[in-house]
Amino acid sequence: MAVTIRRLEESDGVEGFDCGDEPLNNYLKHHAWTNQQKVSIGVTYAAVDESAPRTVLGYFTLATSSVPRDRFPQKYVRGLPPYDLPLILLARLAVDKRFSGKGLGHAMIAEALKITLRVADEVGCRCIITDAYPDKAGWYARYGFLPLEGTAATSPQKMFLDVRTIRRALSSESSSAERK
Amino acid sequence: MPPAVKSKKSVALPAKVPTARKSKFQADLAPSEDSMVRILKTELQMTSNTDFLTDALALLRWAVSERKRGHHIISESSTGERKILLFPRLERVAPEVTLPHVDIHWTDKELESLAELASGQPADPTDALIRAMRQ
Repeated sequence: MAVTIRRLEESDGVEGFDCGDEPLNNYLKHHAWTNQQKVSIGVTYAAVDESAPRTVLGYFTLATSSVPRDRFPQKYVRGLPPYDLPLILLARLAVDKRFSGKGLGHAMIAEALKITLRVADEVGCRCIITDAYPDKAGWYARYGFLPLEGTAATSPQKMFLDVRTIRRALSSESSSAERK
Repeated sequence: MPPAVKSKKSVALPAKVPTARKSKFQADLAPSEDSMVRILKTELQMTSNTDFLTDALALLRWAVSERKRGHHIISESSTGERKILLFPRLERVAPEVTLPHVDIHWTDKELESLAELASGQPADPTDALIRAMRQ
């Protein structure tokens, strides 16, 4: 299986997609393309196999956001840059259950984090935030996402990963490659 | 009057320009690919493999540079029908840095937690994160 991750295309096959979660299925089938192409509120990336390059096996959606500086508590403002805090929202990530356990989730989070770094390099962003289902928070934590306190019990868990941590991971990767 | 002893002037010699070495390119082609190369060379009236490779390289380089700029490569027929080239390897170089902006609903406690994390020292990357960036 040779997986490619690229932007969702209008002609991609999404009808058969089933990750076992109806809101995530529904988003891909009915909203992802519109949100990306027509109203531009999120870009969806599709994982496809090179042997069937139109069938979506997994997807994730990214958007940018920011927090106005004046919304932060005063005691932390001094430690932050004197601007609104730009961030990336990893809004959704799902794998078709027929392909779960094959490393697609890992490949997609890796791609999402690489895009995050590219965005940080191109236009600036400080962190990536995700809304994780409570039973998936441990999976995100493996990649260094930290849970934010104060999420309502009925809401998905907001989690934070600093762009500087991602950069460190990349430089760890570079230095280990140089040692080889 | 000229000096009795001529002093040697140091003359800067031009730096030896290294000549670029030509590298050889050898490929094992399946019979069908070999046939395709021959047909294309005939169609394009090429006689040498070097010319063929040079042109193929120029075309691929152009395609990569266009995709890197986020441009799609499209063919348009005389009737206006358009086809977009979808070549998985090219998609790997396409920049996807233009993301739309959304508003997030934050609770006060979440904002406090976010501010605390964002204003502090970044955490060390986990092994899984390092592996992800290595991919």
